Amino acid sequence: MPRTTHRTRTLALGAVLTSVALAAAGCTSGSSPKPGGQNSPGTSADAANVNGGGTPVKGGTLKLLGNSDVDHLDTASAYYSVSYVIERAYARQLFTYPAATDPNKVNAVVPDLATELPTAANGGISADGLTYTIHLRQGPMWNTTPARAVTAQDEVLGMKRLCNPTQNSVGAPSYYEGVIKGFSEYCAGFAKVKQTIPDMKAYITGHDISGVTAVDANTVRFTLVKPASDFLNILAMPFSSPAPVEYLNYMPDDANFRQHTISDGPYQITSYTPSQSIKLDRNPAWTKAADPVRDAYVDHIQVTEGPDEAAVQQQIQAGTADMEWDTSVPTASIPALRATKDPRLGIYTSGISNPFLIFNFQSPNNGGALAKPAVRQALEYAIDKVAIGQIYGGPSLNTPLDQTLPPGSLGYQQMDPYATPGSKGDAAKCKSMLAAAGYPNGLQLTDLVRNAGKHPAVAQSVQTDLKACGVTVTLDPVPQGDYYGKYLGVPAIAKAGKWDISEPGWIPDWFGNNGRSTIEPLFDGRTYGPGATDWGDVNDAQVNALIDQALAASDETTAAGFWHQADQRLMAIAAIVPFESQSTPVFRSDRVHNAIFEPFSQQYDVNEIWLSPNS
Amino acid sequence: MSADMTADSGAGPADTVDAARSTAPAGGGTSAAEPSSGAIEGRSPWQLAWLLLRRDKAAMISLGFIVFISLVAALAPLLAHLIGYGPTDQDRTNGITVDGLPVGPSSAHWFGTDNLGRDILVRVIYGTQVSLLVGVASTLLAVAMGVLVGLAAGYFGSVVDTVLSRAMDVVLSFPFLLFAIALVSIYGSGLGISVFVIAFFTWAAVGRIVRGQTLSIREKEYIEAARSLGAGDLRIMFVDVLPNLLAPVIVYTTLLIPIAIVFEATLSFLGLGVVPPTPTWGNMLSDSQDFYQVAWWFPFFPGLALLLTTLAFNLLGDGVRDALDPRAGRLFQD
Repeated sequence: MPRTTHRTRTLALGAVLTSVALAAAGCTSGSSPKPGGQNSPGTSADAANVNGGGTPVKGGTLKLLGNSDVDHLDTASAYYSVSYVIERAYARQLFTYPAATDPNKVNAVVPDLATELPTAANGGISADGLTYTIHLRQGPMWNTTPARAVTAQDEVLGMKRLCNPTQNSVGAPSYYEGVIKGFSEYCAGFAKVKQTIPDMKAYITGHDISGVTAVDANTVRFTLVKPASDFLNILAMPFSSPAPVEYLNYMPDDANFRQHTISDGPYQITSYTPSQSIKLDRNPAWTKAADPVRDAYVDHIQVTEGPDEAAVQQQIQAGTADMEWDTSVPTASIPALRATKDPRLGIYTSGISNPFLIFNFQSPNNGGALAKPAVRQALEYAIDKVAIGQIYGGPSLNTPLDQTLPPGSLGYQQMDPYATPGSKGDAAKCKSMLAAAGYPNGLQLTDLVRNAGKHPAVAQSVQTDLKACGVTVTLDPVPQGDYYGKYLGVPAIAKAGKWDISEPGWIPDWFGNNGRSTIEPLFDGRTYGPGATDWGDVNDAQVNALIDQALAASDETTAAGFWHQADQRLMAIAAIVPFESQSTPVFRSDRVHNAIFEPFSQQYDVNEIWLSPNS
Repeated sequence: MSADMTADSGAGPADTVDAARSTAPAGGGTSAAEPSSGAIEGRSPWQLAWLLLRRDKAAMISLGFIVFISLVAALAPLLAHLIGYGPTDQDRTNGITVDGLPVGPSSAHWFGTDNLGRDILVRVIYGTQVSLLVGVASTLLAVAMGVLVGLAAGYFGSVVDTVLSRAMDVVLSFPFLLFAIALVSIYGSGLGISVFVIAFFTWAAVGRIVRGQTLSIREKEYIEAARSLGAGDLRIMFVDVLPNLLAPVIVYTTLLIPIAIVFEATLSFLGLGVVPPTPTWGNMLSDSQDFYQVAWWFPFFPGLALLLTTLAFNLLGDGVRDALDPRAGRLFQD
């Protein structure tokens, strides 16, 4: 099964999705040896398995093997986490996340194309928090002929291309619209443009986003609508990459575009065969001196697509491939790998809550019982979170989670407002609370479940737990590809009572200061509507107000306080039943050294790996 | 009327009687037709067929197995009670490892457990219910449709035949799985839709056979006689033609049941069949996909049940065909 290859926004929008819930996803390596430090086998969830000893060697071909293709190669639209595995090699942003094993550093943005992080002290951020002035470093070049410097104008163009009127526009417009001044207006105008290359080119060259300007070749200025303490996180999204002017000569991310990508990273795409292979070679225009975050040890990166999860795993174990591309380590084979302390297995603790139980607040079934907090609070006690963790590989990969924010997100403070013995559920308590809430005879609920992967098992586990509490659950299986787009994201279906509960998954688009990518999309009731990701219509005035305050906070510490309060409030009203936070297992071949887990792509940073010589 | 109508004395039972008489003694000393040697007994064609079938050991063993699993299906709740687990009970203490892996066969779980700690023996037993129910129900539905359409096409001929035959061709050329997936995504999965989908894709084959037989039967002189006596179309079709079709229809029905059972398992395997947590063999095989390397018992027992059941129905079907149509070569000589 493919690993959760999608950032969840896409999932939520129901575009092309396959599976989030396989999302054995994870991120930060907890307390961990530094690269170059001691190599520890992946027996503990907190052990980073870097294989960093020895002197880095340049050269060789890093072979990635997996099942499916990228969603896009165009940085404006690529949204799968697997796409970012290679984007990190060919596309740079103003800011990015470092290759680090220190959990305190890995989710904090660092300069990439920019010379430094803008702050109020260095004049990068204005006193009102609305203007960001960012200086680009000298040295980064496009691999054009001849090679050309990456300029502030390229960054402006990159932002302008985001809301092109084709289907290959930015996957997460909400990070830009309503944040950057003039962005919504620019997009509204762009939406009316005919989808031809000359028309789109004319619009882009003839119109500007008022909040994005190139002061000079090396200075770009962003003006915001309101303060956003996570604005640098937004600029670190691959969407925010600069774009070379040559891109105006193509339809965004069409087949022709994909054969002509332009790189400012250490590697360039030299060969791309859809759904078969991607080959990257060194970019001659790149210099290490102008790149503070990438080392680029290997000479070539070869991505091969086709085999399924089990076949990929076998090939990596045999050494004929080096890393997983979009697949994951099969859950069933992890116990054996751990038992033999296989050093090639790395398990990385996570910032991902997946899956979790949502309630349809709009459901007319049971007399609208699910809209009552007391009913939902009773159900909070029903779930055996350990049993659900076992479906995803047991305690080495799963930690029971009792709040909406998983560890790794800003504002996380551990809490367990509905504690049960050993997190295994308390049917008696659920039953008595349900009776007290006015439902002594239980409830009849319909559980909307994806009919593939581990989803049916999760639903059946929930069904068993709720049965013990007197709640009868009927499963309603739907095709995986229709789950978000045709069911969860459709208010008419929710209001008709077609579902009462469901178990979706969610991977935030970034970690750290990421409330805009977790609580806001999942629980801001004002966004409820077709395609929204507040699927159950959680709409709480207090939560909405806290979201506004957190997003407008001038600094991270203030934002953290608001996110924490929102988390508390969401659990107080029992908005969802969280199950667990998950860790990501990653497997590498023997010859892979310096494997540094990169939360953003849920995979090792291909720029940092070096291969055993003579292998 | 064709010129050769006098050359053949009729199809169906009449044929069978003659043929059975002529071949039974040739079968060897233990002829079914001569338990009381010498005395000539009157036997109906069906009695003769049954006598022939009883001599087919493979068919009789298969029949015994089918009776056995039918009993198992009927007594599933009782058996589950005796074993001590319900089909959806999750034994989270002994039925699953800490890491969430199934536990192998033991005294507590004879066939082991699945990935949710459920007893595989009990689930295989319950799976029998669904397999038999869907297998038999969809086959009966398919046969009913096939007989009606085939009879009409063969009997009326001309435009009716053309239209119905082309309809059958269209159905036979439909991609089964694509259609099943489309139907299920529109109507949702479930037992009823499974039965319908399977029947829809198998009736046309029955229809073709029935049409072919009807084409030849309607030319027989006794049909001509019936018609000249003033019998209506419906009476001729159902009273004069249909009984003579029973032999091929029965044979085909027996052979269709295993096909339907496999279809059902396929649908369940793809998540398009019976809704979980109801155990079916296909569901169980599907669940076992991620675990077959570490838990052989998980796919083995439902797979074995599926294999034995389809094999039993197929062997029985062969036996029935041999018994009803002795001119065909026997699968196993005795």
